[in-house]
Amino acid sequence: MKRALVLLALLLARPASAHDQPYSYLDLRLGGAAIEGRVAAHVIDLAHESGLDADSLRDAGYLAREHGRVEGVFLRLMDVTAGGRRIRARPLRLEPVPDRKLVAMDFTAPASSSPIVARGPLFGYDPAHETYFNVFVDGKIRVQDLLTVDHRLSVYDVAAGVSIPAVVSRFLVEGVKHIFQGPDHIAFVVGLLLLGGGLRRLLKIVTAFTAAHSISLAAATLGLLQPPSRLVEPAIALSIVCIGIENLRHRPGMRDRRALLAFCFGLVHGFGFASVLRETGLPSGALGWSLASFNLGVEMGQAAIVLSLAPALAWVRSASARASWRVAFAGSWVIVCAGGYWFAERLLVR
Amino acid sequence: MRPIRLLVPIVMLCVVPGSARAHEFWLSPSTYRPAAGEVVSVSMIVGTGFRGEVKPYAAPRTVRFVMRGARESDMSALSTNGDPVSARFRVAGGDGQLLAYESNFASIELGAHDFDAYLKLEGLDEVLAARARPGAAEGPGRERYARCPKTWIGSGQAERATAPVGLTMEIVPLADPAAVASLPVRVLFHGQPLVGALVRAWNRPLAGVSPVDPAARDSLGPLVQVRTDVHGEARLAVGRAGEWMVSAVHMEPSTDPAAADWQSWWASLTFARVAER
Repeated sequence: MKRALVLLALLLARPASAHDQPYSYLDLRLGGAAIEGRVAAHVIDLAHESGLDADSLRDAGYLAREHGRVEGVFLRLMDVTAGGRRIRARPLRLEPVPDRKLVAMDFTAPASSSPIVARGPLFGYDPAHETYFNVFVDGKIRVQDLLTVDHRLSVYDVAAGVSIPAVVSRFLVEGVKHIFQGPDHIAFVVGLLLLGGGLRRLLKIVTAFTAAHSISLAAATLGLLQPPSRLVEPAIALSIVCIGIENLRHRPGMRDRRALLAFCFGLVHGFGFASVLRETGLPSGALGWSLASFNLGVEMGQAAIVLSLAPALAWVRSASARASWRVAFAGSWVIVCAGGYWFAERLLVR
Repeated sequence: MRPIRLLVPIVMLCVVPGSARAHEFWLSPSTYRPAAGEVVSVSMIVGTGFRGEVKPYAAPRTVRFVMRGARESDMSALSTNGDPVSARFRVAGGDGQLLAYESNFASIELGAHDFDAYLKLEGLDEVLAARARPGAAEGPGRERYARCPKTWIGSGQAERATAPVGLTMEIVPLADPAAVASLPVRVLFHGQPLVGALVRAWNRPLAGVSPVDPAARDSLGPLVQVRTDVHGEARLAVGRAGEWMVSAVHMEPSTDPAAADWQSWWASLTFARVAER
């Protein structure tokens, strides 16, 4: 029997080109709501593990028919844990890699704030096998490792790997963008300003709005209170209608309730900010920093609106009280109509 | 157990020694004659006689990866772990560009017979003699190896090629490799001339018959084999047109006996020559 096997081995000996440099790939992308991954291996290694034909694995049709077996191999060999538990990878796509004898599988897995540990190489029975292991965070490469028989473990500490300056700059921009990309928040802030007032009064109104949405944003982000967006989004639209109506019913000598309304509706807007923040993908290792910088970005966006609109309204008022009233009246009607439209749209479409 | 599972270890017994012998390591640019503004990609290839496989860039293995053109650039900062193309750069002018790479140690273990055969093949006579001495360690060859390839792209500004880069082991051409038919080289180890090193050179035509895919090529034998003199120098007849690979290896007892018995450095230099008139 031994002789037969040796003879067989000699018959199977191949030229150097066949697959002498066995390697595979494991890429993880972090920073989003989930772990996005890609694992790739040579068709010969996959054929050996799956019992399928190596050359046929380069054919997309064949691969589609046999996807279960190939995905099964990848899921079995891929040893990635987060917090000591194997990640629950869900295959998304399986494809031959063009111009290379590789098959790649894209997958997703729940995000985790615990250290991620990859063990390898993927085909550990082969002493020459190497697995290129890369971790990307927010698109930037953080880990470049090579898993071999001599180096079987690679650890990435999610929390330690988060760069605070990168988080602050990213979420600051997100906060500003959110204010200017969403017309509803602009409409609400404009509505608060239309009736004008002195610097102290405007500061009081804006501070009330800021304080309120900071509270609800923090509460929602920390998971203390998370009302569904099907309620929050129409409520934000309704707040715009309300502030417009408040402006229209306001007469000289009446009590200015804008600070109170700003605080009450600010709570609602904060929940809206929180859902955007969640969609952006919070780095669990720097939750506080991302929350604070997003909020600061929102404030900067609001401040830009206030600083550009308030002086203009003050100038109109100083030039003509009647013109000022007309601007506030027309502006408030626009806001009421816009808010009403968004309310109906969000209520009916969602 | 499925029959294929029984066969795999047997197949690997055949393949792994084969790969252990497929050890030349060279830098292969997409072109040796880039036009100004052209993007050149450079891959690392492991094999024998110009036949081999692309070795993706391995960041953790990289000690140094530099390009010397109008200025010296750190290519490792631009390369990504696992990329089959180890470097991409845009050629600024028509002068020569030198790329140099050095890896850290990787380990390999070969059976005693295979290891001795490989020492003989590479002309590592001193190591072979040391293993044959009475009382020397017998058994498998436990080796750790590092790679030190260079490539010379284009021609002109010869001093970019003739000045040492500072790799642990390197083949330094003493003239523009693309411009002379008889190329003097100096082999340095830790900056000092390496005496008695076997220098070999392979040649393949660049146009027509030789496939671009290194795995599809036939393995070629060396055209030149010469040992360095007391100054660590050798003269190579490289008049033939096409791509040239010059290679030398140095092995010595391991400074880390727990990791290996022997440690080696593999230096190479690739360049291309146009046809002689």
